[in-house]
Amino acid sequence: MDARLTVLTAFPPAAGIDNEEYYQNSQQHAKRVRELIRDNAQWIRESADDILKHVNPAVYSLSYLMILEFLLQSPGWTSQQAHESLASYMAQFFLQFDARQIRCKGSTWSDVLKEAYSERGLFPASVVVELVTAALLRLDPSGSIITSHHCNLVELAYNTGNVGAILPLIEKPIIYMPAKGMSTAQPLCDMSLPPPAYINPDSQLTDALTSAAVLQYDFLCGLCFIERRMWQQAFDAFERCVTYPTRDGGCSKIMTEAYNKWILVGLLLTGKPPTLPETTSQAAKKIFATQGKPYKLFAQAFKSETAGDLVREFEVINSELLPNEGNVELAKLVLAHYQRWQIINLRNIYTNISLEKIQERTQSAETGAPLPTVEAVDQLVQSMIADGSLQGAIERPKDGSPAYLTFLSSPAQGMSEVEFSAQVNKVMQGIKALEPIIETTNKRLASNREYISHTVKRQFDAAREHKLGIQSTGGGFEESSFHIEEEEDLMSGLPAH
Amino acid sequence: MDDRKLAFFTAIEDQGGVIVKETPKFDLDLYIQNYKGRTRFERLLHIGRSSVPLCVDALTAAVQEAKAGSDILRYQMAVNSLFQAAPNEPEAILDKTWMESKEKENRDTTAHLQAELQSYKNNMIKESIRMGTEDLGKHFQSIGDVEAAMDSFWKMRTEVSSTEQLVDIGKLLVRVAIERRDWKSIGSHLKPLNMVNDSDPKAKALKTYSKIANGIAALGQERYKEAAFCFVEASSGVPPEIYNQIASPNDVAIYGGLLALATMDRHELQANLLDNDSFREFLQREPHIRRAITQFVNGRYAACIEILESYRPDYLLDIYLQKHVPKLYADIRTKSIVQYLKPFSCVRLDTMQKAFNGPGPSIEDELFTMIKDGKLNARIDAINKSITPISTDSRQQMQSKALQTLENYEKQALDRIRRMNIMAADLEVKGSRKPGGMNDISLSMTMDDTASLA
Repeated sequence: MDARLTVLTAFPPAAGIDNEEYYQNSQQHAKRVRELIRDNAQWIRESADDILKHVNPAVYSLSYLMILEFLLQSPGWTSQQAHESLASYMAQFFLQFDARQIRCKGSTWSDVLKEAYSERGLFPASVVVELVTAALLRLDPSGSIITSHHCNLVELAYNTGNVGAILPLIEKPIIYMPAKGMSTAQPLCDMSLPPPAYINPDSQLTDALTSAAVLQYDFLCGLCFIERRMWQQAFDAFERCVTYPTRDGGCSKIMTEAYNKWILVGLLLTGKPPTLPETTSQAAKKIFATQGKPYKLFAQAFKSETAGDLVREFEVINSELLPNEGNVELAKLVLAHYQRWQIINLRNIYTNISLEKIQERTQSAETGAPLPTVEAVDQLVQSMIADGSLQGAIERPKDGSPAYLTFLSSPAQGMSEVEFSAQVNKVMQGIKALEPIIETTNKRLASNREYISHTVKRQFDAAREHKLGIQSTGGGFEESSFHIEEEEDLMSGLPAH
Repeated sequence: MDDRKLAFFTAIEDQGGVIVKETPKFDLDLYIQNYKGRTRFERLLHIGRSSVPLCVDALTAAVQEAKAGSDILRYQMAVNSLFQAAPNEPEAILDKTWMESKEKENRDTTAHLQAELQSYKNNMIKESIRMGTEDLGKHFQSIGDVEAAMDSFWKMRTEVSSTEQLVDIGKLLVRVAIERRDWKSIGSHLKPLNMVNDSDPKAKALKTYSKIANGIAALGQERYKEAAFCFVEASSGVPPEIYNQIASPNDVAIYGGLLALATMDRHELQANLLDNDSFREFLQREPHIRRAITQFVNGRYAACIEILESYRPDYLLDIYLQKHVPKLYADIRTKSIVQYLKPFSCVRLDTMQKAFNGPGPSIEDELFTMIKDGKLNARIDAINKSITPISTDSRQQMQSKALQTLENYEKQALDRIRRMNIMAADLEVKGSRKPGGMNDISLSMTMDDTASLA
């Protein structure tokens, strides 16, 4: 084998070395590969295909990545054929790379990934979206930290109509935010590190983010879920925007837009106006109350027994608000679902009900009147049964009497002790799985200036009260919930352990 | 009904008034004899403007009642109403001579009492000032100037020298407050009455007065259960003369009975009404109410409702009860239906229709509304025309609640951790307000992200 190829396949070392040594080796290897590329640029450009055939991206990820970076920067690689080759190399790499190796060379990995979704157009959008999703999930299979790549990806996917491919990524709950100063003394290649310890602006696996970028990510996720009719996920995404932490009376425009969509999606999801969670900041609540009032009135009208109120409210907001805020289709869908929810809610009143009675008791918000014929009701009920939104069956008696709807009873009629215990254990496992997350967050807070000053102040106050012999009404820090700032009460509402 | 009367009641109905066409069971003369003071006129006028059969008699009596007093406005009001309903009645013509002489007399009395009070004030005799203010207040009330009366009675409070006087002022204020329908203030006016020591011989009477006044106030504010307890705690041993300026013993039985039927369960009704010796005395004056309660307690709900329905016209003519009769009757009916269904696993709708055949919508519509409003936990089978009550499975409820709590805990915990991480990364949305400042938050919208949204 060519000695030059031997250099490229010299890393990773055999198993059995510790993380520190692995990291040192990776840096030395990167240095050697850089020198090799510098000295043999011509050879690499001309024989890239042969070279990369010998450098398996799943095994020699670091070498492969550095060659890719070189090729992307090479001026000669502009022909159509070169483009296709480059795209093929990149696809192979992002679908197979070893996440441990690339943690040691975060900036290069990020640069190459950016090339994938850059305007250079190496791939069609549908392929880029799949590749970047796969790459981000290889880097952090838990998907628990947001990166600048997430933000770019979701925007690209939504704008190009490739939402399906990113669902595995955006369905994962984001818990951590990248921040500077998060690197630990442990080497980045330590696979036991939590995601924020190795994915941060210092490791260059992500750029620094702003609150607007994080909010926009959740907002776009909400839009993507709407496109897929995934109402629960869309509702959760908009709720994350609505309850986004604020300080000093701040409230973002994205938050108010998300609030409007959150109301509409809430109506589709539950058939009733949603209630703002306790964690919504006071400042946001005040702004939602004024700027979101038309939507709130629209949602209130959804509760009305007759469709007329809803139609009137729709007309009020349809003239200006809906088109400007891109909510026309969503609001029309809400109108279409009004009668559906009326029929679904009949299950709380009837076991059997004739289709004529359904026609009499429900109204279409699209026309503001009951459906014109029993056949139309029949059709609507059948479509609801077919799409799973209604648990029931249309019975057609053989004696020729009119057809009627039978609501099927819910299967969950109480569990045995064993089933209940199994369910509780399952949820408890989920709660226990929070322990490492809490530990990571604790460590993170320990380096937060405001949190430390807050804790010191609380301890000082407690000590002073103790000294003065004053009976503390709220308990010490251990008993009470802690606040990072006046507006935020992070732990209130949570039951005690 | 003749044309004049028809026009009179049509006008009242257009103003939102309640018209009772059925003849009530009570005798107007006997009824009004139960009361003393200004409430007599109010009740007569109210009946005259509500009851078609009693209209002329009640309005004629109201004219006579007003003419026996000093309130010219009330006289005019009664004559005017009578004129609209029955212009040929002799009382339907305004007695201008009486009005002019009464007006002069009222003016002279006011001037005289004011001068007298001023002289007391000049002499600084505390007791005389109090009495003079009381006379003036009573005079203002008798001529219909309730605001001035309230003002005078209020001023008396600074001149009191004994608890008894404070109690008297409380009663005066309560009467004016009831006349003004100022329900909220009645509780505070009654405080001196409630503070009287039990050893005081008048304590029982004062407590009963206080309970009845409080009951009327609570009824006015739709606090029905509280009102019911007030009436059932009144003592029948207290002579009606103590409280007949605001209510009669018959009223106590009716108000207490109806409100209790609407708000208490069968055990409470048995314990607080039927086993209550004092309230049983009141109930003896209105035996049909006692029968209705007994029927309800014995589970014969349809019979209870039937009795109440037969007395609906009477109750609609009551000055305080009229506004609440539909709601109270609806509540009693709802409670009866709920209680009726309890022992059955399934009931046919036609059986229920027979049992609760009321003036309202069909029983199916009524059950539909009750279930929808969460008042009844049952399911209707509109095809087989039956209703099935849903029994509450406590074990299942506990299980689902426990699981839901755990799931919510996990969800909330994750959300809180996420929020902490946002803050730790200094990624909160920041406003322009300085920490602790009071700037208008609407000005502090951060607009940095609007462009990217667009």
